[in-house]
Amino acid sequence: MDTFKVLLVDDEVEFLETLVKRLKKRNLTVSGVNSGEQAIEALARDPVDVVVLDVKMPGMNGLETLREIKKSCPLVEVIMLTGHASMEVAIEGMEQGAFDYLMKPMDIDELLYKLQDAYKKKKLHEDRIKHAVDEIVSVKTG
Amino acid sequence: MIDRTMGILADILNKLPFKRRKEKFSPANVEELRTAFKDRYHSFKVLLAANNKALEIMAEMEEALRGNRPFGMSFIRANCTAVSVNVFRIVKNLDQLAPGKYRDLFDKFKDIQDHINQELSLRRLPKAEELVLPFEEIDMNMADQVGSKMANLGEVMARLQLPVPKGFVISSLAYQRLFEHNDLQSEIDRRLQTSEVEQLDQLYKLSADIQQLIIRAAVPSDVEQAIVDAYRELETQAGKEVKVSMRSSALGEDLVGASFAGQYRSELNVSADDIIEAYKEIVASKYSLQAIAYRLNRGILDEDIAMCVGCMVMVNAVSGGVTYSRNPLNIRDDSIFINAVWGLPKSVVDGSVAADLFVISREEPMRTLQRDIKTKAQQFVCYPEEGVCRLDVTGEKSSDPSLSDNQVFELARIALRLEEHYGSPQDIEWAIDQNGLVFVLQCRPLKQTEGGDGSYGTSRSDVPRDLVILQGGAAASSGVACGPAYLLLRHGDALNFPHGAVLVTAQALPRWAALLNRAVAVVTEQGSAAGHLANVAREFGVPAIFGVADATNVLQNDELVTIDADGLTIYRGCVESLLAKSGEVKKNLMEGSAVYEILKEVTQHIVPLHLLDPDASDFKAKKCRSLHDITRFCHEKSVKEMFSFGKEHHFSERASKQLVCDVPMLWWIINLDDGFKEDVPGKYVNLDNIVSIPMMALWEGIIAIPWEGPPPVDTKGFMSVLLEASANPALDPSMPSVYTNRNYFMISRNFCSLTSRFGFHFCTIESLVGERANENYISFSFKGGAADYQRRLRRAVFVSSILEEFGFRVEVKDDGVFARVEGFDEAVMKDKLKLLGYMLMHTRQLDMIMSNDAAYNHHRNKIITDIHSIVKPAPMAVSN
Repeated sequence: MDTFKVLLVDDEVEFLETLVKRLKKRNLTVSGVNSGEQAIEALARDPVDVVVLDVKMPGMNGLETLREIKKSCPLVEVIMLTGHASMEVAIEGMEQGAFDYLMKPMDIDELLYKLQDAYKKKKLHEDRIKHAVDEIVSVKTG
Repeated sequence: MIDRTMGILADILNKLPFKRRKEKFSPANVEELRTAFKDRYHSFKVLLAANNKALEIMAEMEEALRGNRPFGMSFIRANCTAVSVNVFRIVKNLDQLAPGKYRDLFDKFKDIQDHINQELSLRRLPKAEELVLPFEEIDMNMADQVGSKMANLGEVMARLQLPVPKGFVISSLAYQRLFEHNDLQSEIDRRLQTSEVEQLDQLYKLSADIQQLIIRAAVPSDVEQAIVDAYRELETQAGKEVKVSMRSSALGEDLVGASFAGQYRSELNVSADDIIEAYKEIVASKYSLQAIAYRLNRGILDEDIAMCVGCMVMVNAVSGGVTYSRNPLNIRDDSIFINAVWGLPKSVVDGSVAADLFVISREEPMRTLQRDIKTKAQQFVCYPEEGVCRLDVTGEKSSDPSLSDNQVFELARIALRLEEHYGSPQDIEWAIDQNGLVFVLQCRPLKQTEGGDGSYGTSRSDVPRDLVILQGGAAASSGVACGPAYLLLRHGDALNFPHGAVLVTAQALPRWAALLNRAVAVVTEQGSAAGHLANVAREFGVPAIFGVADATNVLQNDELVTIDADGLTIYRGCVESLLAKSGEVKKNLMEGSAVYEILKEVTQHIVPLHLLDPDASDFKAKKCRSLHDITRFCHEKSVKEMFSFGKEHHFSERASKQLVCDVPMLWWIINLDDGFKEDVPGKYVNLDNIVSIPMMALWEGIIAIPWEGPPPVDTKGFMSVLLEASANPALDPSMPSVYTNRNYFMISRNFCSLTSRFGFHFCTIESLVGERANENYISFSFKGGAADYQRRLRRAVFVSSILEEFGFRVEVKDDGVFARVEGFDEAVMKDKLKLLGYMLMHTRQLDMIMSNDAAYNHHRNKIITDIHSIVKPAPMAVSN
């Protein structure tokens, strides 16, 4: 699996720092921010492939942030990660296009697999779009 | 003569085309094919992963329902959420594999979701109306506002007119205000969820963190004001700057008749300045280590416990202690037991000082039955300013009785009155002040123990060793059962499965679940406790051991055996002693508790499996009633959708490369993803550049034994071929025949789809083989042939009987053979593919000899011998 870029969003600073460190050891390009607002800014500045998003944060919460991300960067895959197990929020997130919804404490390898799967999905999505565009171009020029 | 016949035959066959192709092939089409494959492949893999996860969680929830280990609401919430998310992902990915085809599933999922949500929705605590209540206004009926402990005390004061120190209670309303004001509950829930409460170190940290959180929280100003006002009122009755003792009085303590002894904090001799701090500390003690562990072990809902705090005038006791209105250790002894010390009763409660014991008969005139005076070297007394301290007791006082005889009898009479009032044995804490007045400080039901030991779990060493037939595997469903073994080697065997038999089979296939209302136990050689079959076995209470190596070879049909799933042992005959034990009911601490009941309710919508048989007419999306149904349904359909890839996507010749090999046949290969070691330009690819695991396994089977050429055909067989060819207008010999006698592989590293056409014979093999055994899969279909229908039919039966013998699930429809095998590890899957590779090469044109019994048997024997020489003995091989 080639390397890809991940953005972690969590207001729990200690948790965030540990996770960034651990994922970096697994050869991912990882950065972290502490709020939904910061996440939107960071994505505009420096696009990533997959976002790992805490659900409960002060300011913009996880679902609001998810909506914003899907609006501004629809191809980016989002994995929700939370300490608050809530079925309603989970399913709402999934319906709004989250790739998955994981609960803390989670296994780091499990998270890694999910990240890989999410990235793979994004790539496939991009390939499909590329083919569609190529086809349109070839029809126009042909 | 034969050569010439064959020449003509080959010529005819070469001219017969297959289905006409609609597609035109272009490089863009190839890319599309690749993308389509990758998309589906990814969806399928994600679906399988979610499927396994969902089943794993269901197994965990079911295991919890056994009640043998503690769990809390966070366990239920987390698992409900996780299982829902995974089932949703299954549905979503199936929708990607087959867009729009199973739309009903989304509605069904929503319905089930609503049901679960209803069961989970927060239970409202009864709301108190006052933040603070004086003792005089309290009685037993107010336990849901002030906690049972303080409600009792109010009752003692008001109804029995026994002396109780003046005071007030900070109510459950105050507790709720404190929690809401600081949004404590969701933060506490989060912490409970994210900790591994089974690990003591984590539990310890969790307890400390939550208590800190509460202690740091701000008490809402109206609550604070109410407490201060109540204290000022107390001052007017008991004097300026009166010190108070503060005690926990939790709501729900009496939910399960449990004692809750010593879990929560008390603060003694508190001054006005510190009441608010002490209040928070006592509330925080709801999350003491032992309190968290206790609730967990007894299934008590965290939110059912609201901490009220009693605040009463401090009695600076000369002596104090605890009375039991009966012997706590012997249910048959009704004597009154009084434990007493100098100073505050604290040292009796925490056991820090040896206490005097007075045992009194309850009948009047009361008698002292036993009088055991200890040396009481220390006592607790109040500091003048605040708090308590431990002082040495010196001189004769230390060995003097801490109570006079009159005081002993007065305490005994109080105990009897309380017992009579409540109608049950009581545990009473009391103190005697400087004036000799007895105050009741606390009163609660006394739990008496039987004394005897009735624990379950005797070792099985009492069963003779020589009765053991097999041992090992993993318990998929616990229990003991006895019955005749029934070996299920082929799918067809299921039809004859007798009532009351022990199901013995190689794999724990979901379809065997349909037999569980007839089977008394299940033994398999492979399978996981998280699988469908294990789930259903547990649901039906059928003991099951999975993963017992060699079970289908060692166990004999009709042999009477005893299955001990807890001991992972299979015994010869009926072991009555084990069966008798399994009848005993295990002690289940969780059962009946609030948390347990909630789990029981929610799992009703999650675990039961109603869609057992994929061939049944009601195996439909609309019929799904539980998350398990959806999971099962989707799994079945996803496999079908995924492995119809080759059928639905046609092959582009230009994109394919011809395989360079020694087999004198044409093999074309298209690389869907990562099936080549490296990309190669040009029209050819070498075998050593192929890294597709399933293709290579097939290939080994293809080249294992050289084909002898078509079997000798008798004239009747040849005529049959010619007649069939001329009678079938679809076999138009004028069409170009590029697709005749060609073989197409579509491959990736773990995937292979082979479409093979030898003349009239049409065969597809699709397979996924990798490290994760439960994703592995092979499907095989074989159809057609030039001979007449009867012969083709016979050949279909011939092929299917061989495949069944080697562990495939086989279905014969007309002259077609459809076989599946799944879930074995890589090595086994490769063997199965080798076998198919061999079969592919050696069953060609066998239909022509199918009317000749001698030839039939000859070929069957040769094929069986060949297969045994190229693959390891199959786990399902029939032993004669």
